[in-house]
Amino acid sequence: MIEVENLTKNYTKGSIVTEVLKGISFRVDKGEFVAIMGSSGAGKTTLMNILGGLDKPTGGVYRLDGVDMARAGEEDLSRIRNRKIGFVFQQFYLLDRADALKNVMLPLIYADGNGSGAARAEKALATVGLAARKGHLPAELSGGEQQRVGIARALVTDPLILLADEPTGNLDARNGLEVLAIFQRLHREGRSLVMITHDLAVAEHARRLIVLRDGRIADDRPILRPRDAETALRLWPDGPGAGPG
Amino acid sequence: MHFARNTRLSCRLLAAHKLRTLLSLAGVVVGVGAVILSVSVGRGAEKRILDLIGKLGTDLVIVNAAPARLMIGRQRTVATVTTLTAADGRAIAEECPHVLAVAPAVRKSLVVRWESNNTTTAVTGMAADGFLIRNIPLASGRPFEADEDRARRRVAVIGPTVAKNIFGKVLPVGQQIRIGRVPFDVIGVTRRRGLDANGTDQDDIVLVPLETAMRRLLNIPYIETIYIRARGSRWIDQVEREVRALLRERRRLTEGRPDTFTIQNQMTLLKTEREAARSMTLLIGSVAGISLLVGGVGILAVMLISIRERTREVGLRRALGARPRDIRIQFLVEAALLAGVGGILGVMAGLGATRAAAVLGFRETLMSWPAAAIAFAFATTVGIIFGIYPALRASRLEPIQALKSE
Repeated sequence: MIEVENLTKNYTKGSIVTEVLKGISFRVDKGEFVAIMGSSGAGKTTLMNILGGLDKPTGGVYRLDGVDMARAGEEDLSRIRNRKIGFVFQQFYLLDRADALKNVMLPLIYADGNGSGAARAEKALATVGLAARKGHLPAELSGGEQQRVGIARALVTDPLILLADEPTGNLDARNGLEVLAIFQRLHREGRSLVMITHDLAVAEHARRLIVLRDGRIADDRPILRPRDAETALRLWPDGPGAGPG
Repeated sequence: MHFARNTRLSCRLLAAHKLRTLLSLAGVVVGVGAVILSVSVGRGAEKRILDLIGKLGTDLVIVNAAPARLMIGRQRTVATVTTLTAADGRAIAEECPHVLAVAPAVRKSLVVRWESNNTTTAVTGMAADGFLIRNIPLASGRPFEADEDRARRRVAVIGPTVAKNIFGKVLPVGQQIRIGRVPFDVIGVTRRRGLDANGTDQDDIVLVPLETAMRRLLNIPYIETIYIRARGSRWIDQVEREVRALLRERRRLTEGRPDTFTIQNQMTLLKTEREAARSMTLLIGSVAGISLLVGGVGILAVMLISIRERTREVGLRRALGARPRDIRIQFLVEAALLAGVGGILGVMAGLGATRAAAVLGFRETLMSWPAAAIAFAFATTVGIIFGIYPALRASRLEPIQALKSE
């Protein structure tokens, strides 16, 4: 589904050329749950932007669902971002003035097809366990709930792949676990996920680990015994469902 | 893009920023309101002049004894000239074929007394036909007649302002007043007519028979004015020519010498007034139009600020699949919404201000719906035009940079 071959990315500032990605190759198949790990400056955000169609590689090939993303125009990239990719951001990026339901409906504004957007959005909110909070503004939700709204927004277009950039980065451990539990459930249901993180404990919830170091892939291996977020939540001192307000 | 869905969301987001949205609207509201108010007041003035034309009749020609002088852009007659006589009036009545009726008149400001009350007012001596020619209706009593004029009877018809000033609540008809030192019987009161085009109170008058005025009151052999009614308003220019030719002949004015009298064609006079009122309306209207443009700049400023604030929203929308074109449309729609709502509020403000101006008696006003429609359309257009630049800027934002911005 994702095919990356010898991908490079340079940033040019004046006469100084910075090589951020120095030839990366991997593929992600349907139904995989991949964690891409690396320390800051390793190029993981750049890779994420390219995978998400927000940035273009300098060299190499990136095919998503058979489409050559390096050659796609702005219009096509917009369409692909809308239909095939679901973004989950570290800072959630919710519209403050719109309630949870409206936030989840946002990608549908740019989607084809009719039918009730509200019904689809409600279904997506139910998937992340927030059906009851659809009328709340982001400010009225906890960080964990805000990120779950973000996940619902990524799911509402039924994308090919979920791209999550440090999805637990702004959350405390417990809320982070809840997000990871949702990801693991989505994976069991057959969704494809790529998650970027700098935290091995987070990465170990995935089924495969790609380690980036200095713009190259340092390691690419399956995680044979992934951590189970739901178990961790059950064993949480305060018990399940007692997350911060 | 789902246009309606996005527009609903835009409305919600704009409504959430109440103060900012209202501020951006203020300019447009004031602009549209000002256009409507100024045009309504201007049209009120125009209507007043048109009403005057109707009241006076459009077939009225006035000859004045003095030659015309142009003062402050208007025709004025000056000084006392003694060359116009009642004989001129008779000659016009007899010799000009398109003249229906003629009423010579004199006028002087005199003190009028009743018991211990007195007032200074314009006393007009005029032939009995003057009531008909000048279209002066009576509220009570009767006008004087040609016989009374010939007999130099001391009878007077007074205007309501004079009646109020010297009689208060006493019924004037049947009372005896003194004009100067001469006693007169009040036989009628004119109907209220209000101000004329020059702002003179047409109710502050006393009308007496011409002969009475000339021989018993003023002791003069000449007259000042001849009121002439044409056989129809289409003959008005013809009458003016005939009267001019006759008067010039009677004065033996050779070709090339100027008139020693003035002929005013009431219709042309009022048309000029109307033109003046129109251009005034246009002037005030355009000033208000400029303020509308300034209102558009307000929208521009607020849109630019809002884009700065909403850079991350733009980045997010781009990441979620909005094309640059979708972002452009969104911001254009928002600008149009702002301007449209501002326009509607402005129309309401203009209506309110127009009504308030009428209630306060500031001016006669006439609500102009075409002006309201034009002002509204203009406001919306200005809003959209001033929305183009912010919309372009928003659509050119790079999604990654936009998302990262704080």
